[in-house]
Amino acid sequence: MAPDLSLGEAPGRHGVEEVRAACRRLADATETLRSRPWSEIADQLGQVGARFSDSTDPLRLEALERLPQDAGLTPAMAEAVLEGMARDWRADRLRRTVEAQFAEPGCLDGLVPGDEQSYMAIGPALCLQIVSGSVPGVGVNALIRSLLVKAPTLLKPGRGDVVLPELYARGLLEEDRQLAEALEVSYWARDDEAALQAALDACDVATVYGSDATIEAVRGMTRATTRVVGYHHRIGVAIVGRAVFETDQVLQAAGDLARAVALFEQRGCVCPHLVFVEEGDGSYPERFARDLAVALGDLEVSLPSVPLDAAEGAALQQLRGTAEIVAAADGGWVRHGRGSASWTVFYEPRPREPLPTLARGVRVRPITDGTEVSREIEVLGPHLQTVGHAGLGRRLQTVAESLARLGASRVVPLANMSFPPPWWLHDGRGPLWDLVRWAEVEPE
Amino acid sequence: MTHDFDRIAVDLESRMAAGTGVWSEQEFTERALEVFGHQYSHCDPFRALCEARGVTPEALGDWRDVPLVPATAFKHFDFLSAPAPAELVFRTSGTTRGQGTRGRHHVPRSSLYRTSLLPPLERALLPDRDTIRFVSLVPPPAAARESSLSFMVGAAADRFATRVDWLVSASGSWADGVAAVWASVVEEGEPVLLLGTALSLLNALERGEKGASGLPPLPDGSRIMETGGFKGARRQIPRTELYRMLLERTGVPPERVVNEYGMTELLSQLWEPVLAEGEVMERTHLPPPWLRVRALDPTTLEPLPEGRDGVLAFYDLANLGSVSHVLTDDLGSVRDGRVRLKGRAPGAEPRGCSRAMDELMTSAAR
Repeated sequence: MAPDLSLGEAPGRHGVEEVRAACRRLADATETLRSRPWSEIADQLGQVGARFSDSTDPLRLEALERLPQDAGLTPAMAEAVLEGMARDWRADRLRRTVEAQFAEPGCLDGLVPGDEQSYMAIGPALCLQIVSGSVPGVGVNALIRSLLVKAPTLLKPGRGDVVLPELYARGLLEEDRQLAEALEVSYWARDDEAALQAALDACDVATVYGSDATIEAVRGMTRATTRVVGYHHRIGVAIVGRAVFETDQVLQAAGDLARAVALFEQRGCVCPHLVFVEEGDGSYPERFARDLAVALGDLEVSLPSVPLDAAEGAALQQLRGTAEIVAAADGGWVRHGRGSASWTVFYEPRPREPLPTLARGVRVRPITDGTEVSREIEVLGPHLQTVGHAGLGRRLQTVAESLARLGASRVVPLANMSFPPPWWLHDGRGPLWDLVRWAEVEPE
Repeated sequence: MTHDFDRIAVDLESRMAAGTGVWSEQEFTERALEVFGHQYSHCDPFRALCEARGVTPEALGDWRDVPLVPATAFKHFDFLSAPAPAELVFRTSGTTRGQGTRGRHHVPRSSLYRTSLLPPLERALLPDRDTIRFVSLVPPPAAARESSLSFMVGAAADRFATRVDWLVSASGSWADGVAAVWASVVEEGEPVLLLGTALSLLNALERGEKGASGLPPLPDGSRIMETGGFKGARRQIPRTELYRMLLERTGVPPERVVNEYGMTELLSQLWEPVLAEGEVMERTHLPPPWLRVRALDPTTLEPLPEGRDGVLAFYDLANLGSVSHVLTDDLGSVRDGRVRLKGRAPGAEPRGCSRAMDELMTSAAR
């Protein structure tokens, strides 16, 4: 059975024969791509990426026009997301990404001397990037990564992330035809197992973004010689320390967190779904929850919620109503937006069997001390990714080490949760390291 | 409390047993408010919700203002408005998040459930005769005690069946002697009522394709009760396609296939009146008079005008022993008291008795 890529899968367009043909074209591009210096590739990719930050560039204008429909975002949100994403597509950021990953980036171009041996890094002859989800920009991030390591790339974007890869490919064609020939953006139907198998058979590295089940299924379809790099579903949490209240930073922290909740409409793995607030004098968690609700309400002006369809609205009503009964029994409360404002703050003074969060939903729970958070979220370990923090002071190191051991790969200020830099340790691994293989040469 | 509960229940049973004739708005409102007062007094989580909303029986004059309880909340609370323990506890499939979070519906008085289900079922499935042979693809109630669907079929069989053949076990596997049952149906030549979920009917059709004894041509006058949809099952086909396959195999035309809409959280069911009224352009579901249905705006929960699609809310007097005002995640519209179902919210968690059996049958088929 084909893996379920329905979460954010692009509409099917290409069949197995077209996928095979795309793979053949990409294979032809391998040698040329490998012959070019990494720095030149980074500059060319950055040249195209920069166009998405240029307010007069047709690529950016078309992106802003099409993104709301494509990704199901409001125009304001589409612009905010594009701003955040495209900031890291510039040449300086891409060069820095390579330099952050490789002590001697020349290893991508050929052998470089080490202490006792020479070594080089070789990108895949063909990299398959399967991106599911509806966070726009992830597909471009993915294709840039593999092109940076000189891998011809077949990208299957997520359903809500089609426009940006398409436009990026078009821009690349205008900027550097040779490089553009090393990129194919292709879609196939979710049940087209033959197309998926053809792509998997042709590549030597397959990068898959999706649910745990999707990644397991792809692994099951892949040969032993093909490396599968899986980015399974993950979740973000946040910790607000008592110092936030004692230094009058509450509104700032609530505002930062609200923005992290609103950006990507809680669809991304960097989005915070659960917030722990240190009790302090006992009033801090509820106070923070109230301020967070106000901040989310305020954000509806600059970043209004995406209107929900009837089915999503029905599911949200189920959740809010159930949470209200839970809260009435537990002394908590639920506050939410009116009309199309989809934000919901669940203040949960007592631990309970968790309800899912939908749309801009976020749960606030008290905790005696931030150092206890790891124990509270132990079960999330394998799916934990970004942890936002504020007001932990000198305890940050202890808390962060504990969270890192649990599974977190990013512990960052609340304001930095949404947009990790391109060289971030994505799910705990270097984004380029995962794509290359190494060769070492010992002298005579 | 027992006295109060029993008094209301006996009164309701008496009224329900009289049939499915129209209830006036005044009669429904009086009974609905009495039921609300009882549930407010005796169901702690429901009262907590009402208090949080500032709603009390004394101040309420319209049943529509009773706080809605989402169907999902049945996963998290035991709504019981009568002395524990309940005579029956039905469970939803709760398939997406494991057995621990299955919804449960406490039914303190089985006779109220039985009384409420029979007249609408009779109107929908037996408008032309008093009794009929039942052939059930739903597991027998003795083996599936937590299934409200099995209870319903069992109660109906007790009342209306000349004979009942249970072809599917609680584990989802086929019973012994299926071929003999089909042979006797054909041989007798008397109409039968075939009852099943959409998936169990599909399984029966496919079983025939695999060489096992599948559905035979059914005698003239036969009818089929179909319920449950596919609810997230791996195999799904459009309902029109299922009905076409049933016609092809059994000879029972779509206008003799009656869909039942129900859920564990509601003890009353809605039926398509196709047998009584014949095939119409658009299939709708008819609630019994003790069940009121409204379509609400999914965003605001404000009532929608007639014919506008929204999320469906029910006030079910048969739910006396739990909570009556239930908000579902099903979408549809209401016109002249009839419901046009649009489907279940795809983003919502699938639930319902059909799915539990579907899973069993899927695993049994492996």
